[in-house]
Amino acid sequence: MPVRFLRNASELADVSMESPLPVQVANAKPVPADTLLVATTTVTTTTNRDLMENTNTETPTLDNCGQYRKLVWFYFRAGNAATTCRILARTTDLSAQPLGAGWQELVTDTLPGGANSWGRIEIPSAGDGYYDQYRIEVYRTDGNNYTLTSKVIGVRG
Amino acid sequence: MSAERITRREMLKRLIVAPIGAAVLTTLEVRQASAATMQPYYDPYFVAVLWEGRTRCDSLWRSLKGDVVAILPTVQGTTPYDRLYWTGYALGSVPVNVNMRVLARAVDLSGAPLGSGWRPIGQAAIQTPPQRWFRVEIPEGHWDEYRIEVRSATPRLVYSRVIASQGYWKE
Repeated sequence: MPVRFLRNASELADVSMESPLPVQVANAKPVPADTLLVATTTVTTTTNRDLMENTNTETPTLDNCGQYRKLVWFYFRAGNAATTCRILARTTDLSAQPLGAGWQELVTDTLPGGANSWGRIEIPSAGDGYYDQYRIEVYRTDGNNYTLTSKVIGVRG
Repeated sequence: MSAERITRREMLKRLIVAPIGAAVLTTLEVRQASAATMQPYYDPYFVAVLWEGRTRCDSLWRSLKGDVVAILPTVQGTTPYDRLYWTGYALGSVPVNVNMRVLARAVDLSGAPLGSGWRPIGQAAIQTPPQRWFRVEIPEGHWDEYRIEVRSATPRLVYSRVIASQGYWKE
C-alpha cells in the first residue's frame, strides 16, 4: 500500500522523491560548543594556583582542547579582592606530551569585576586558539579569600 | 506488496486512526531541500529561533515573555550561539520609545546559575517612527541564559522574535 500524507491541508499525496514527507530540521548539526569545566575555586594569595586549586605548574587545567577555536571562561566572583589571572597555553605531540616544558603566556591581567559580579573572558582574546592544553591561574593580591565559580566552554570552528 | 483500492475518505481515516510506524518512517524518502524550508538555515551558519511572541510594554522592566520576575531567563540553552538578534515591530500611532536591556548568566552542569543576579550586557532606547521595524544585535555570545527586558512610559505592544546564530561554525 503506498504511503500517503495530507499536503496543503486538503490534498492527499503519495510519498516520493518529488513529494517527500514534511519534516522539520532541529539540531541538524553537532552542537559546536562544549562545556569543558565547571569549578569552584577559593582564591587565595598562593601564586601558580589554577582553577582546580592545583599548584603544580606543569599540570594543565584543561586538556584535549585542540579542536576548539576559542575557549570562553564565564565566572562569578563572590569577593572584590584584587586578583591576578594568568592564562597559559601549549601544544602536545601525537602521544599527548607537551612539545616542551613550560607554557606560552596568553594573558596576565587583573580579573575584572567586584564582589558578586559576573565576568566573561575569551581565550585567546583575539585570533584563534587550537592549543591542546590550557592552564588558568588565579590569586589575589590584597583583601580576603573568596569563592570564584567558573565555567569554561570550548567553541569549535 | 499488494495493492488495495480505497476511497480518499477511507485513506484519510486510516492515516488518522493508524499512524505510520516509526520503523516504516525510517525507510521513507525524505528530501533535505524540503526540510530546509521549514527552519531558517543559511549555510555555513546555523540560525535558530529562540523565542517569538508579543510583549505588552509598560512602565515596569518586563521580560519579553511578560514577566517581572528578575530571576527568570527569557531564553535558555544558548551556549552554542555566537550572537543573538532581536527583531521586532511595535504597534501604535505615536513614535516608539521603548527602553530595553539585556542580561546574561552562565549555569553549571545541573542548570543552576553560577551565582546570583545577572551580568548586564547592554541597555538602549529603541526610538522609531510609528509602526516600524527595529533590530537589536547582541554580540556577546555563548552565555547559557539571557534575559531581555523592555519597558515603555507609554503602554506599547511589541511583536518580536529572538534568533541566534552559530557565527563561526563552518563545515
